[in-house]
Amino acid sequence: MNLNWLDAFLITGLFSVFMVIGLALLLHLQMGLARIANFGVVGFWGLGMYVYGVLYVQVDWPFDDPWRFLLSALAGVVAAGISGLLVGWLIADLDEDGVLLGTFGFATIVWILATTETALTKGALGLGGLQFPYRLGNAKQNEALWLLILIVVVALIMLYVWRVHRSPYGRLLVAVGGNEPLAQSLGKPAFRTKLGVFTVGAAGMGLLGVMYGVLERFLETSNLGVDLTLAAVVGLVVGGTARLWGPVVGVALTVGLFDIVIQSYIPLPKSWYGQAIPVLREMVFGAVLIGILLFRPLGILGDMRRDKLMRSMHGE
Amino acid sequence: MSDPSGAPILEATGLRSGYHGITVIKGIDLEVRNEVFAVLGANGAGKTTLLATLARLIPSMSGVLRFLGEDVTHTPAFETAARGIGYVPQEKGVFTDLTVAENLTIGGMIGDRAVDERMSEVFELFPDLAVLRNQVAGTLSGGESRMVACGRALMQDPTLLLLDEPTAGLSPLYVDMFFEKITEIHRTRGVGIILAEQNATKALQVADRVMVLSLGEAFLVEEAGNLTTEQLKEGYRI
Ligand SMILES: Nc1ncnc2c1ncn2[C@@H]1O[C@H](COP(=O)(O)OP(=O)(O)OP(=O)(O)O)[C@@H](O)[C@H]1O
Ligand SMILES: [Mg+2]
Repeated sequence: MNLNWLDAFLITGLFSVFMVIGLALLLHLQMGLARIANFGVVGFWGLGMYVYGVLYVQVDWPFDDPWRFLLSALAGVVAAGISGLLVGWLIADLDEDGVLLGTFGFATIVWILATTETALTKGALGLGGLQFPYRLGNAKQNEALWLLILIVVVALIMLYVWRVHRSPYGRLLVAVGGNEPLAQSLGKPAFRTKLGVFTVGAAGMGLLGVMYGVLERFLETSNLGVDLTLAAVVGLVVGGTARLWGPVVGVALTVGLFDIVIQSYIPLPKSWYGQAIPVLREMVFGAVLIGILLFRPLGILGDMRRDKLMRSMHGE
Repeated sequence: MSDPSGAPILEATGLRSGYHGITVIKGIDLEVRNEVFAVLGANGAGKTTLLATLARLIPSMSGVLRFLGEDVTHTPAFETAARGIGYVPQEKGVFTDLTVAENLTIGGMIGDRAVDERMSEVFELFPDLAVLRNQVAGTLSGGESRMVACGRALMQDPTLLLLDEPTAGLSPLYVDMFFEKITEIHRTRGVGIILAEQNATKALQVADRVMVLSLGEAFLVEEAGNLTTEQLKEGYRI
């Protein structure tokens, strides 16, 4: 296959767009339906990535890939899921602000651990020694295949979110998110439902973290800042949650603009990529978020009424 | 249908509950059978707290609660709801993001009968809801919301319905209609009803028995017909 059109920049750009789409879709379940304002996306993502990386590199495995990879990756996903269960349980009784701070605090803890536990993570130096679970030929072919696998995973996430949307379970989530005490009296375990979606979302975010770690084959603590959470939130907010395509379109417009269009198709001095573009990206994302908050006085969560989708579901 | 002599549906013994360690319900004994049981009392008497405790939404501090003969003192609210306790709160009784039809559908998640069948029964009882079925519940008027909340609870095919001041703040026309519906629900469906009310006159028209709640204690429990104005005044502390 001729892959000339696909260079390393474009692969990372596309990977980042699809990955953030996946994160935004999972966030949509947590925030859009169940109204859990998760501002710690990067924490679950990063925990998955680091648990995978540390186990893969630091454990003296008695066997090699694919088992070594599969077990490390599975551990990353499970760790992210369990942390979701714990964090979700801890923030259960907090109000919206508390949830926001709690999840943000969790992400900060993950970042601190990755930075300070240098014996395991190599801290700010970065953890190398990772590899693709397969060898196709050259690096580009390996990366292209991994991108393809990510696209399949994100498509599956989308299918899952779509199914939840259409199911009674999805409606229960909206009910619990909107009025938890009342949802208790519906005869279904409301709290468990809410915790369930938070856990599944966290595990999914961990999986995307593992996949990113594999693509980069080098884990850096600088990835654990607020950037990724911001990207997922902005994508979700820009696209809106009235339709399932909202997060997809939102992320494509925001992350896509920076990580693909500007990165690959606008001829800028190469020296800008390191510092100037990422800084500009954060500034624009922040401004977009503020703009939306200003012009949608209901705020992020208020704006996430999924009523249109529910409406279309009932054939109106 | 009223059978105040039959087996009790709900029994409470020495029930105490409240908020943040402060006791509001101070040891209530009560036995509700298949009847309309009114809980009267002034503002702050503890009616809402009592009903929420019976619905298991507020944990009891002590005492025993039995539903259909089984101890449910520590059973989670969703489970007592699944066993047949329907609850319509005084406020915030609808899911504002969902449409009227979705509110009803979600009430029908438990139980065996077809949801469509139950929904058409609710529409028979509250014809207005059929017209509003696709409206988002957050945009309904107060009276319409009450109907939805009530309809949602009925979708659960409850054995016992807890209604917390279903007519507070409604126009007289609505109030009359609502009390008629309450009687109808009890008569035609055999649902036991606990009705918290301030409006003693109206409540006494539909109730079989009455409890007057005063500062979190049962001032008296009496056949509705036997209650005197003096007793009522004393219970209301006026
Ligand atoms: N969430 C709460 N936290 C602390 N105290 C509360 C809470 N809710 C109610 N109370 C207190 O409990 C007491 C009983 O309140 P409750 O709402 O049960 O009265 P009520 O009989 O339903 O009154 P009303 O007729 O006004 O609805 C009041 O003194 C009230 O201040
Ligand atoms: Mg009250």
